[in-house]
Amino acid sequence: MTTLTHEHEAHPGRQGPAPPPRGWRRLLYPGLLRAAWMAPLFFGIGCGIVVLCRWWGGWQPIWFGEIIVLVGALIAGPIGFLAGIGAFDYWVRYAIGSPTKPEDHSGHGAYSWRDYFRVNTDHKVIGIQYLTTTIFFFLAGGLLAMLVRAELAKPGMQFFDNQTYNGLFSVHASLMIFLFVIPAFAGLANFVVPLMLGAPDMAFPRLNALSYWLLPIAGIMMLSSFLVPGGAFAAGWTGYAPLSIHQPLGTIFFNMGVQWAGASSIMTALNFLVTIITMRAPGMTFWRMPLLVWANFTTSLLVVIATPFIAGSQFFVMFDRVMHTHFFDVAGGGYPLGYQHIFWFYSHPAVYIMMLPGFGIASEVISAMSRKPIFGYRLMALSLMAILVLGFSVWAHHMFVSGMAPWLRVPMMITTLMIAVPTGIKVFSWLATIWEGKLNFATPMLWAVGFVSMFVIGGLSGIYLGAVPIDIHVSDTYFVVAHIHYVLFGGSLFTIFAGIYYWFPKMTGRQYNEKLGKLHFWLTFVGFNLTFFPMHLIGTQGMPRRVSDYAPQFANWNLFISIASFALGASTIVFLYNMVTSMRRGAPAEANPWRSLTLEWQVSSPPPIFNFDEIPQVVGNPYEYGVPGARHAVLNGDRAATETEVRSR
Amino acid sequence: MRRGSIVQLIVIGVLAGAVASAVALIPNWLPSSASREAGRIDFVFWFVTGICIFVFSIVAAVSVYSVWKFRVKPDDDSDGPPIHGHTGLEIAWTAVPALLVTAIAIVSAIVLAKDDAAGANPLRVNVYAQQFFWSFSYPGYGDKKSDVLRLPVNRSVVLEGHSKDVIHSFWVPEFRQKQDLVPGLTPTLHITPNKVGTYPLICTELCGLGHALMRSRVVVMEPAAFDKWASRKGA
Amino acid sequence: MAAAHAEAHHGPPIANQSSRVSASVLGMLLFIASEIMLFGSFFTAYFFVRVVNGIDWPPHPFELPVFVAGVNTAILVTSSFTMHWALQSIKRGNRAGLQAGLLLTFLMGLVFLLTQAREYSRVGFAPHDGAFGTIFYCLTGLHGAHVFVGLSILLFMTIRAFRGHFSPEHHHGVEIGGIYWHFVDVMWIVVYSTVYLI
Repeated sequence: MTTLTHEHEAHPGRQGPAPPPRGWRRLLYPGLLRAAWMAPLFFGIGCGIVVLCRWWGGWQPIWFGEIIVLVGALIAGPIGFLAGIGAFDYWVRYAIGSPTKPEDHSGHGAYSWRDYFRVNTDHKVIGIQYLTTTIFFFLAGGLLAMLVRAELAKPGMQFFDNQTYNGLFSVHASLMIFLFVIPAFAGLANFVVPLMLGAPDMAFPRLNALSYWLLPIAGIMMLSSFLVPGGAFAAGWTGYAPLSIHQPLGTIFFNMGVQWAGASSIMTALNFLVTIITMRAPGMTFWRMPLLVWANFTTSLLVVIATPFIAGSQFFVMFDRVMHTHFFDVAGGGYPLGYQHIFWFYSHPAVYIMMLPGFGIASEVISAMSRKPIFGYRLMALSLMAILVLGFSVWAHHMFVSGMAPWLRVPMMITTLMIAVPTGIKVFSWLATIWEGKLNFATPMLWAVGFVSMFVIGGLSGIYLGAVPIDIHVSDTYFVVAHIHYVLFGGSLFTIFAGIYYWFPKMTGRQYNEKLGKLHFWLTFVGFNLTFFPMHLIGTQGMPRRVSDYAPQFANWNLFISIASFALGASTIVFLYNMVTSMRRGAPAEANPWRSLTLEWQVSSPPPIFNFDEIPQVVGNPYEYGVPGARHAVLNGDRAATETEVRSR
Repeated sequence: MRRGSIVQLIVIGVLAGAVASAVALIPNWLPSSASREAGRIDFVFWFVTGICIFVFSIVAAVSVYSVWKFRVKPDDDSDGPPIHGHTGLEIAWTAVPALLVTAIAIVSAIVLAKDDAAGANPLRVNVYAQQFFWSFSYPGYGDKKSDVLRLPVNRSVVLEGHSKDVIHSFWVPEFRQKQDLVPGLTPTLHITPNKVGTYPLICTELCGLGHALMRSRVVVMEPAAFDKWASRKGA
Repeated sequence: MAAAHAEAHHGPPIANQSSRVSASVLGMLLFIASEIMLFGSFFTAYFFVRVVNGIDWPPHPFELPVFVAGVNTAILVTSSFTMHWALQSIKRGNRAGLQAGLLLTFLMGLVFLLTQAREYSRVGFAPHDGAFGTIFYCLTGLHGAHVFVGLSILLFMTIRAFRGHFSPEHHHGVEIGGIYWHFVDVMWIVVYSTVYLI
């Protein structure tokens, strides 16, 4: 972390925020110390409200554990924590009508490691906060997966009982989806998108800080469900009603964890959209935006429109449980399939929320490292929009065997298969970009090309799943497990790694260890394929998913998969070692080690605290590699050149 | 492009296709087929597999060739040719996949329609799922009850699904047919068994802590043996 | 190079404004889009219960207080006009009009919410009385929560208005809060017509 204080040396006059007061006043100063007493205080207030309401309404028992946990620990306590670290200070001051201070940027930037543990309004700091937090939950989720594979190494029960096993894979999936893939992309974009746009920060820096701090709350909530009586939530990350309604207490930790994570991603998405629409540098038209920005623009639209539906679905399950409502209860007039429709109306677009930013990263890396313009830039951007639109019309393909209206199946199959067209366009365009390029296989490029090849396999198995008759046979089997891991691990995770390695020099000012990076890639690539490819086979042969025990005929393959998965898990150690040592002792990075044209590479590594001294002037497209004299943007100190260049174009 | 490189490209494509075909053909991807529906579904499976091998070979050829031929030494700082796009190619790789998926959609829709149609004089069976076991009743045979699903061979069967608590899913891999059983709904499933034998019946929708063990059997019998069993009193 | 220049600056460069819409208005509109989808998920549940399951609406012996809720609707709709008046007043520099408009809007919103609470206690069924009760309470309750949030925003705006923080040049706070309040009103018309009228 020490290298991240680089900015400090660059600005000897600036010392960051005023030092916290000494003595007992320190307890009132926004930060973790204040959070440490405000969270329990709010928890107490939450409990008090519950008890008062129950006493007033005459409900027995007055002290009812489940609702105490829900209101006190899962809602009020976290709000107290946020208030304590100071996420609301500015807004509270505004709300009570006291004059708001002129912005002194004291909450901006990182001068020591402590600045990563407070409410920080600098998008670069928030990006790194996001990434470290999500990598922590990635490790937690990965360890859970190792436990799952240990149990599955042999048929019969080895280490866990059934309920615990169900909890393991449920928490694994939830952490990986809500606390790793979605926010890791948000973290990368947080760091990069304002720089790429030529903006000094995001549109709403305080909202940005808040949306980060919701994440640890959601993640700790989901993890801590292992500690409550009855164990973790065990109805899968899909939490199908009516099963999820009749599960032990841990389920509401999932219901509420999803709300916090969802709120976080809606806020970030809103912030991205406003930033992209209103804060582009002069000359940066939509058709000059890098594809990563395009990807985050479409993703954010998906998040803003779709995420409220998962919020709704989890509210309904929670109400059915604690208020005994009848959303999904047949006896009371409810409709169980309604849950799946509402859930998948979010969770199918969520698949694209987890993939489109990766498309953007792959485009950046592949173009810069092939030294060629991206092939068919406009079609690449338009295919993102096509996926966005189609993405809202395919949710019921998760429900081909669910018992929904049979006539819905063929239309949903057609829209589903049609999504292969824009995704195909993207794959072919990447291949055409590589074609005749000058390929530099540094680590990010390995991950990006690895992503394209794995994503092709994941896409092709998606065609099988899209065709209803095959889906009827393989749905809810290991074939599906293989497919989602090919698109989410081979797709999303590979691009996250590509992005982390690609922007590592920019973020830390140091270069990662190239040898270890390549080793990490090859270990992961081989381990990944050995783990997940055989799952296709045992799936079609008849092994259902989400089982702790299975028929003896699958024993050999499962043992093989478990061993491969441990090797895959071990490859993460290489990654961590590389990150930690390179951050501390890596060679200082140049401003633009990849000789990239996009704006984030035109400033120092790490970037100055306010990104640019003057807003740059964009004069051309972002991928004009090999075009003589072409420039994407002109930075300060070059005004004269700017004006002639702008006029000549 | 030189002729030599086209030949190399084709060779890689053929090799990739051969590897993919070997992966598709050597292991036993599908369990044995024991129903008429299974035969049709297998046809779609292999139809899609053929298309996928074709697409895979092209992609593999281009990417392997590129990775092999276009990598540069670390000290080579030159740029590639500034090619921005090619309208013809872009139209081609929009249109061809669209055609391929349309073909898959048509084949799938036809098979689905056939699989959803019950034959003449179907046998009706009620399937009851609850945590965590299966039971069956035969309304045509005095509501005879059974814990094992017994079916006559070569007769169309209509299964009517009932769930008593949460969502379960009825799956017999050898029949290739699957249906979720949802409380409050009575979805139907059509099967025409065409091979005598005993097959596993598996619950594939997570239904709680006993989900992994919620299994039963399907016994497909000769019609005479089935009639004899079905007209006997008791289970 | 960039770092050396930064010495002269003590704040970020002014961002380029690349759209005619201001960031905060756009942010509020997007937030409302998200809110509409949240209501959408509740209406989807309503659709499944009422249309797909086809239950009686309201089922015997329950009855909906259509008239009282209608009066309540009129109050809420009127409050949208006073909100608009408040905004127009401050645009013309009429601070008294702003204060009166905001205060009236707040009071009408409060009356609406209290009437709704009164209705809950007298309506004769609870959220656990079948799917009808569930949908009724959750849709009106979701809207009630939004009225509560809207009232809080109105309260903050009113406080600031009385402290003299708004002027013809700076009234963004009123404008943005106003957009939210109009959204809450329009949403109520949808809830009222689907839950009470049809």
